[in-house]
Amino acid sequence: MRFAIGIIVVLAAVCAAGSFITQGQSFDWYAARYSERIAGLIIALGLDDIFHSPGFVVLSAFLCADLIFCNISRVKQLSARYRAEKDPARAFDGVPQVSASGIADPLQIFKKLGMGEPVKIEPSAGLLTSEEGSGSSANNERAGLSSTKKGLGLFASKNAAGLWGAWVCHLGILLLIAGFALGQFTKSEYTVYGVPGQTKPVGDSGYELSIDDFRIELSGSGSVSQYRSDIRVSPVGGGEGSPSGRPASISVNHPAKLYGMKFYQNSTGWAAKITITKNGELLQQDWLCAGEFVPVEDMPELVIYYNAFYSGPTLAPAGPETAAEDIETPAYLYTVYYMGQILGMNVLIGDEPLIIDDYVVTFTEPRPYTLIQVKKDSFTGLAFAGGIVTLLGLALAFYVQPSRVWAYEEEGSWTVCGSSPRGGRIFEESFLRAAEAAKGEAAQGCADREGREGEAVPSKSVSEREEDHAQG
Amino acid sequence: MLKAENTLFTIVMLLYFASMILYFIFVAFKREKLAPAAQLVQAAGFALHTAALICRGVGAGRLPMTNQYEFATSFAWGLCLVSLIFIRRFRFPVLGAFSSPVMFLIIGYAAMQSKDVKELMPSLRSNWLGFHVSTAIIAYGAFGVSFVLALIFLARDRLTRGGFFDEHIPDREMLDMIGYRSVSLGMLFLSFTMLTGAIWAEQAWGSYWSWDPKETWSLVTWIVYAAYLHLRIRGGWRGRSAAVFAALGFVCVMFTYIGVNTFLPGIHSYA
Repeated sequence: MRFAIGIIVVLAAVCAAGSFITQGQSFDWYAARYSERIAGLIIALGLDDIFHSPGFVVLSAFLCADLIFCNISRVKQLSARYRAEKDPARAFDGVPQVSASGIADPLQIFKKLGMGEPVKIEPSAGLLTSEEGSGSSANNERAGLSSTKKGLGLFASKNAAGLWGAWVCHLGILLLIAGFALGQFTKSEYTVYGVPGQTKPVGDSGYELSIDDFRIELSGSGSVSQYRSDIRVSPVGGGEGSPSGRPASISVNHPAKLYGMKFYQNSTGWAAKITITKNGELLQQDWLCAGEFVPVEDMPELVIYYNAFYSGPTLAPAGPETAAEDIETPAYLYTVYYMGQILGMNVLIGDEPLIIDDYVVTFTEPRPYTLIQVKKDSFTGLAFAGGIVTLLGLALAFYVQPSRVWAYEEEGSWTVCGSSPRGGRIFEESFLRAAEAAKGEAAQGCADREGREGEAVPSKSVSEREEDHAQG
Repeated sequence: MLKAENTLFTIVMLLYFASMILYFIFVAFKREKLAPAAQLVQAAGFALHTAALICRGVGAGRLPMTNQYEFATSFAWGLCLVSLIFIRRFRFPVLGAFSSPVMFLIIGYAAMQSKDVKELMPSLRSNWLGFHVSTAIIAYGAFGVSFVLALIFLARDRLTRGGFFDEHIPDREMLDMIGYRSVSLGMLFLSFTMLTGAIWAEQAWGSYWSWDPKETWSLVTWIVYAAYLHLRIRGGWRGRSAAVFAALGFVCVMFTYIGVNTFLPGIHSYA
């Protein structure tokens, strides 16, 4: 147990550290933010990608091993306890946590505690005297029975399934971690972006995606309410008009599943049509999304990079990102590279041409492009199943509390005992209230915790009982 | 509707303040008769708070759970709800004396936030929003109550030198048990929150877990309370050490709620 606590505390500390150190940055980034020494330390210790670092993986593996060991080692014991909890023949095996004597109608207590109809136990079945039963006298003594007691017994138990709560919860966590880890190792993720009319390959998946339409839906106040793309996916080579192409409409929160892959409407940006002419002749023309570059066809060492799109004469960086459809003064931030070196960087406003020797470059027709994320993860369902099982386990552990109530008759009156280690004092209070009610006015004042005749008393402190429980 | 919500919110603040004062007089001056009055005022505040949230929801045309103001006021509502349930369930009005200042602080924090109603960004337009945030509200409320119970536990020995507190504060064992119950409730609902959040994130962002600071700190909080439960059940931790651990857990809750938004921006930055 200490080992498990140690692991999860270290895991929590690592997670906290990972949240404070911005993940996935370069040495230079960390050096600029902290210092070179700290940046070196972050990189050396793998703190820049802490959640995929070997240390984190090893910790998670230790946690899983501990959970597996814990569950395997407890399954036999839990099965035995589960059977014993419900077994009328072992009605008097339990140590009474609380008891009440002088009860005329014990059924009232069973009813008030929601125990259901109790099972009648003949003395030979469970309520044994030392003369009648061999080996049960110790149980009887523990249950508060003297060897001379005879008579009818009653027994009921409920919520024995709650015993399995922690076990089920551990199983759920294992499934969740397994689903997450397997997903990390096997999943494929791709990003496809473009403007309507374009067909692009979905990474190396063997499929291609055609963008039929992309719409930005606005609410009454003018803010974006939804991004929606109409797409078709088909095996590579099938082409846009391929009969095997499967259409789908995707929007934020509404992905589509096609060919075992999930397609998500992720984000958007601004694309523009780039036209390159040479000596007045059209050389090439294509759509370019912000952040993309294009090498000049007959001089590949000359590259035009489309950095960003702005609008308006002020070229405010906070220009239209997505919503504005009517761009009056478009502006395009570009960089020209020649053999890997920056040749120049500037902004083209409107149809203004960029002239590089014989080449003339223009950006036109700015329009939003759609960015679609594609994912294939066969283990997402396993991780979610793990989450649901964990929840079920927690609910069982916290809200399905096993309890047993048994009663025996002695000289015309009944003694009722109850036990619910996890219910603790709250179960005791409920039991005592039920006992008080069962006794009625005649016995009022007797069902206190003083241990007088006609008493209703808890038999053991909760900590003692839970120690028993944990050891058991 | 938003005007009505504004008015109701002000009245709710006054009622919570009044209940806090009544609880204070009940505890400080041992005026037992004020306990039911304080509970009544708190319950009235809760009823109007519910009405205020409904007005906000109707006025905004969506669930009022999407920005700092809305979550803070919902958090106070959740804390009030869980606190009232525990006061009634365990006949423990002194709990109100300790929980009402926390409640008032949280609703005060809400009052300092912008109440502007903004259109939801597309990723927030999902039915999962209601499940995800409402379970978080109950979880935070339950953890808030566990924090208050931990404080009462730690202060109990100093307080119970006279007959009044002996009568009105449960014994250590019972306090410990109630604290455990509130942590259990919070843990269950925090797990719900994380699961519904993961399902929603998978739909909206294509990734059910991104190690975003809010997600990470929810996990840290979950781990801290899981450690508390293990130490309590299997390690025999009781009393003071368990109370200190429960209080530490609530520090994590508050960091997840306010600290992450303030210091660690991520994809949950609107929350």
